[in-house]
Amino acid sequence: MSQTLEQITTGVIEGNIQGIRQLIQKALEEGLKAEEILQNGLIVGMNEVGKRFKVAQMFIPEVLRAAKTMHAGQELLHPLVTDARAVRVGTIVIGTVQGDMHDIGKNLVGMMCEGAGFEVIDLGFDLSPETFTEAIKVHQPDIVGMSALLTTTMRSMGHTLKAITEAGLREKVKVMVGGAPVDAEFAARIGADGYGHNAVVGAELARKLVEAA
Amino acid sequence: MRTNYRVNAGVRFEVFSRDQLEELFNGVLHVMDKIGLDVHHEEARNILADAGAHVEDKRVRIPTHLVKRALATAPRSFTIYARDGNPAHDIQIGPGRAHFGPGPTPPNFIDVETLERRPYVRDDARIVATVVDALPNIDFCESLGTISDVPTDLAAAYEFATMFPRTTKPIVAWSFGWDDSNDIHQIAITEAGGQEAFERRPNYIHYCEPLSPLVSTFEAVDKVIFAARHAVPVIFTTCALAGGTAPVTPAGIIIQTTAESFMGLVLSQIIRPGLPFFTGGVLSVMDMSAMILSYGAPELSLMMAGVTELAHYCGLPLWQTGGCTDSKCLDEQASLEGSLSVFFSALSGGDLCHDVGYTESGMTGSILQTVMMDDAIGYSRRITRGIEVTPDTLAVDVIRDVGPDGHYLYHDHTMQHFKTEFWYPNLCDRHNYEEWAAEGKQTMRARVIDRTREILATHNPSPVRPETAEAITAIMAAAENRVKNKP
Repeated sequence: MSQTLEQITTGVIEGNIQGIRQLIQKALEEGLKAEEILQNGLIVGMNEVGKRFKVAQMFIPEVLRAAKTMHAGQELLHPLVTDARAVRVGTIVIGTVQGDMHDIGKNLVGMMCEGAGFEVIDLGFDLSPETFTEAIKVHQPDIVGMSALLTTTMRSMGHTLKAITEAGLREKVKVMVGGAPVDAEFAARIGADGYGHNAVVGAELARKLVEAA
Repeated sequence: MRTNYRVNAGVRFEVFSRDQLEELFNGVLHVMDKIGLDVHHEEARNILADAGAHVEDKRVRIPTHLVKRALATAPRSFTIYARDGNPAHDIQIGPGRAHFGPGPTPPNFIDVETLERRPYVRDDARIVATVVDALPNIDFCESLGTISDVPTDLAAAYEFATMFPRTTKPIVAWSFGWDDSNDIHQIAITEAGGQEAFERRPNYIHYCEPLSPLVSTFEAVDKVIFAARHAVPVIFTTCALAGGTAPVTPAGIIIQTTAESFMGLVLSQIIRPGLPFFTGGVLSVMDMSAMILSYGAPELSLMMAGVTELAHYCGLPLWQTGGCTDSKCLDEQASLEGSLSVFFSALSGGDLCHDVGYTESGMTGSILQTVMMDDAIGYSRRITRGIEVTPDTLAVDVIRDVGPDGHYLYHDHTMQHFKTEFWYPNLCDRHNYEEWAAEGKQTMRARVIDRTREILATHNPSPVRPETAEAITAIMAAAENRVKNKP
């Protein structure tokens, strides 16, 4: 395996945002294909990050830095790949639902999804059901992600899902939900397609949802 | 340039005011000078008398100037060295440094495999030393038992011989008397490279236990003389029961036990001025219903904190007590009593906190309790480390950078500090319900047992030098002969 690819893998694990662009440039100059750099460099690194996070050898600030590095690399490779979906696995629209201004969890999921190869459109927080339906029409995402921290605002997720269905958009998108009070049972009850209990699991779930589609 | 700017490098906690400490100290001096202690050791009485003590039959009264001279020569700060030169396992005694370790001599042990209570055997010393060597927050080693499957007189020597090769953390040794003290010492100095090298870098501490109230027993005194003549850092402390063998009031038991320790202090400093000496002990209540010396009582932690302050007021390091319980097994009571006493001990800054792993009121040693307490000690140490206040930690610029509605996860400041500012437990579970359920809904008890067994299966302590291994075999063979030929 190319030494430069190994350096790219290490660069992702170490979250070397500045260095990754140079390394990718070097790899391209060495004649490596964009797909190879992605598959055998960046993704190898990000998979290792996921493994280390699960056994508490890496922590969230480091994982996010790795995700950001991954994302920077993907952006660079995007115009060079023949199959765009190899780099950009899908589009995800995320936001915190109406009545809720908590967004650190939603931001985390967004950052992790970028690292997982998604284009992330972050709508913000305290979003009405209509904001979500409009965004689906405009951005045509594969996935809609909704977040809430408060038990009082969890209900807004149900309302938003209902609005998506009534607008005739439910078949077009997968819906995932998350946030401290949310669990798998709640997700099933309101008719969401999935639930992730933390940002890393959320990003994995997003990949599974687009791969299954 | 700043004037009168005071920095607290840790969390402050105080029991006594300076005036109260002076009153306690005067009480100790009064007991030593006017009441006196019985010293059951003729040679010791002669040494003390020659130095100016008043001796009448067994009763020895120590004038205040002798106590103060001993306090002037005994060091407050010194180092006990890891036998293999690993500085991470050195113990630096000094202000604001609390160290933790198991305790000596319970008759029973909780079997790590069957989890049943049974008599302590020689292999348990191997188990305890190996686990102690691996635990990040345990600093010194004691055996948590009295070996029952060797000749009785050799229980202490076998214990040391078994533990010494399995941990490089300094051992606090105990013994029956002069002969086995010497067995232990010969092993230690062989590893150190001789008596002279040992004196430069002492690698173990000797524990002697006189009797409450106010009796310096022959064995305890003999051992303190041995330690002083061989330059072994020494602990000379009692286990007093408030209401039984000591006054029922905390102030009273603190005075009495300190006077009991000070007899050993004075004697050791006459023989070898400057010998590292630990005062203190186990101060607790006699439970007036169960009739036990309680190892889980809040008074234990309170009295230990008080006696620590008095020791530090006098300029001495202290033998603390904590991490122990009256519970019979690894349960919620064991966790509650152990954790709170560990925390109090850490707050008081007592220099060597022993009995981490005592259960059933000191009747049963449990390395499982020690493993659980390792997390409690880490937790406590994070708190006692306190809050650092510098321009960097105040983080006003960072707050400006992030601003309203931002987040700190990407910020360099977070990256720089999140590993050192936050303490991460080894055993306490912080996963969410789904993850915890997916891992089999393990309880703390199960995690403690798993971790203990995992350490035993995987941890390889740094070995002793080949000549030490040979010396251990020879010393123990000679000791066996000595015991066989004993009349």
